[in-house]
Amino acid sequence: MIGVVSGKGGVGKTSLVASLATLINKDPALKTIIIDCDVDAPNLALILPSKSNNDIKREDVYNTLKATFENEKCTHCKRCIDEQFCEFNALSWDDVNRIPQLNYLSCEGCGACKVLCPENAFIINPVKSGEIISYISDMGAPLIYGKTRLGSTTSGKLVTECKSYIKNIENFEEYNMVLIDGPPGIGCPVIATVSGLDYVITITEPTPSGLHDLIRAIEVIKQFGIPFGIIINKADLKSPFQKEFKQYIDETGFDIIGRIPFDFSIAKAMSFAQSVVEYDPKSKASIAINEIYLKLKKAFLN
Amino acid sequence: MSDNSKIICITGGKGGTGKTLVAVNLAIMFKNEGKNVLLIDGDVDNPNTYLLLGRKLENNKPVYFFKPKIIEEFCYKCGLCAENCATHALLHVKDAYPIPILTVCSGCKLCYKICPQKAIEEDFKIIGWTYYSTDNNLSLMVGELVPSEARSAAIIENLLERLDDIINKFDIIILDTAPGAHCDVELLINKSDLIIPVTEPTKFGKLDLFRIIELIKLLEKDYRVIINRSSLLGFRELFLKELDENKINILGDIPLDDDIVLSYCQGMPLMDEKNDFNRENEGYKSFQNIFRNLLEWLNNKEVSIEN
Repeated sequence: MIGVVSGKGGVGKTSLVASLATLINKDPALKTIIIDCDVDAPNLALILPSKSNNDIKREDVYNTLKATFENEKCTHCKRCIDEQFCEFNALSWDDVNRIPQLNYLSCEGCGACKVLCPENAFIINPVKSGEIISYISDMGAPLIYGKTRLGSTTSGKLVTECKSYIKNIENFEEYNMVLIDGPPGIGCPVIATVSGLDYVITITEPTPSGLHDLIRAIEVIKQFGIPFGIIINKADLKSPFQKEFKQYIDETGFDIIGRIPFDFSIAKAMSFAQSVVEYDPKSKASIAINEIYLKLKKAFLN
Repeated sequence: MSDNSKIICITGGKGGTGKTLVAVNLAIMFKNEGKNVLLIDGDVDNPNTYLLLGRKLENNKPVYFFKPKIIEEFCYKCGLCAENCATHALLHVKDAYPIPILTVCSGCKLCYKICPQKAIEEDFKIIGWTYYSTDNNLSLMVGELVPSEARSAAIIENLLERLDDIINKFDIIILDTAPGAHCDVELLINKSDLIIPVTEPTKFGKLDLFRIIELIKLLEKDYRVIINRSSLLGFRELFLKELDENKINILGDIPLDDDIVLSYCQGMPLMDEKNDFNRENEGYKSFQNIFRNLLEWLNNKEVSIEN
């Protein structure tokens, strides 16, 4: 399992995964399942659409827990408020009806209120947290992606569900690789994405925020002890920060997988919903990505 | 300026669309107008505002998070704590003391509250920091998650509590959010009066914009969109048409501009008067235009509230 993360958003995770997916699909040595774990903003499906609309599978995921309250059981003792059953500010007191009020968004479904209420007036139920969509993409590889239900607050859990969904792919034993497009940031969904991977590709750009966010992402990856390498996107950006950036990278001795030059063909490819290696295989960016691909493949097959 | 619309949230769904760039420069422009401004960096996974402002992080305060501490001499190894832990953050094997697994602990404190032997104490770990500094009518509050901690929303809540203590000192508050549409972003949008999603004219930009707008509508907030890199590929016209068809109001756009990249990489905000960027450049003018439209929007808000 290989994943792509970046810390900073918008540095090219999805564009890179789309191109790698295109190259992998043409390669008989690799049989790959692709997963988009950016469940807040899943975009990979735009570039890897379904072969036929008939085989798109959608499965609702109910792994968010939320409390509900049964008014008729309440004896108005107010202990839930006085003894602060809830640590997440999801309980407040309704003075008029003398019952607790639940804030749906704040509720974490921990069940403390259910256990602590002497009248058992709280119930914990699973609610829909999102969905997992899967299909065979037009280029052949199966694509799995998750999409959170807005306001459901559990991106990390949905990421984990997406990753374990691979066993639902037909003949999944025949695949020898899983390629994951990760979410931005370093929090819960990123931790869920990185956990259990064999290798992490980090991608960044030579700007202060690109480097800052990369360093924080690497700290997370190191905690898991997973090997990683760096791809520098927009590598030739006209940036006064280039020198400092290079110096940092050189000093750390981190493995640089490759450099992708700033190339408008990437943006153009996107507007046609294609990966750049498909749209313009001769472009500077495509040549760089091809080299990156060959390097990764060599390392992977060894 | 009305107190009813003084918190402005910069968000966007997609990463790398220019949220922080917009947040920082709007804060600077309000400061230029003589307003007392507070900029809050709510992208606690990766706070970048201070880098763009060329500032250092100062006055850190830890954000503590509950962790259970097992007092072995009191513990009867009954397992009640582990049985009731919703996230399975306590591991209990028969005849052994429970073992906390802190990475999955939600901090609900139920174990501490229900232990019949009072063998679980409240202990705390640091999961992040908040920073606060004031300089020349532009104050900056930053939240930062410790890498490999997962509870970023707890940092946001901490920031919002700190905000409540000082909110009256400021004329205007700008919130910068993380990418995505998860709980961190939701908390900040919910706190705000006006929402500005920053997008770019690409297919990804559009998809993520529509998703964040769905969230903004769910939270019943007023919003207007900024289109960054608007000169990209001439895709702008088509993009604008789609926004128009969906009745999405636009606050302004920002073209691709070398000065913007330069200011971004040097930590010298484009709109800061002392930085002397060419005021005839497209990037500079676009920010001026956005600011004019924003003031007009704020005024209209005020009128409609008074009526």
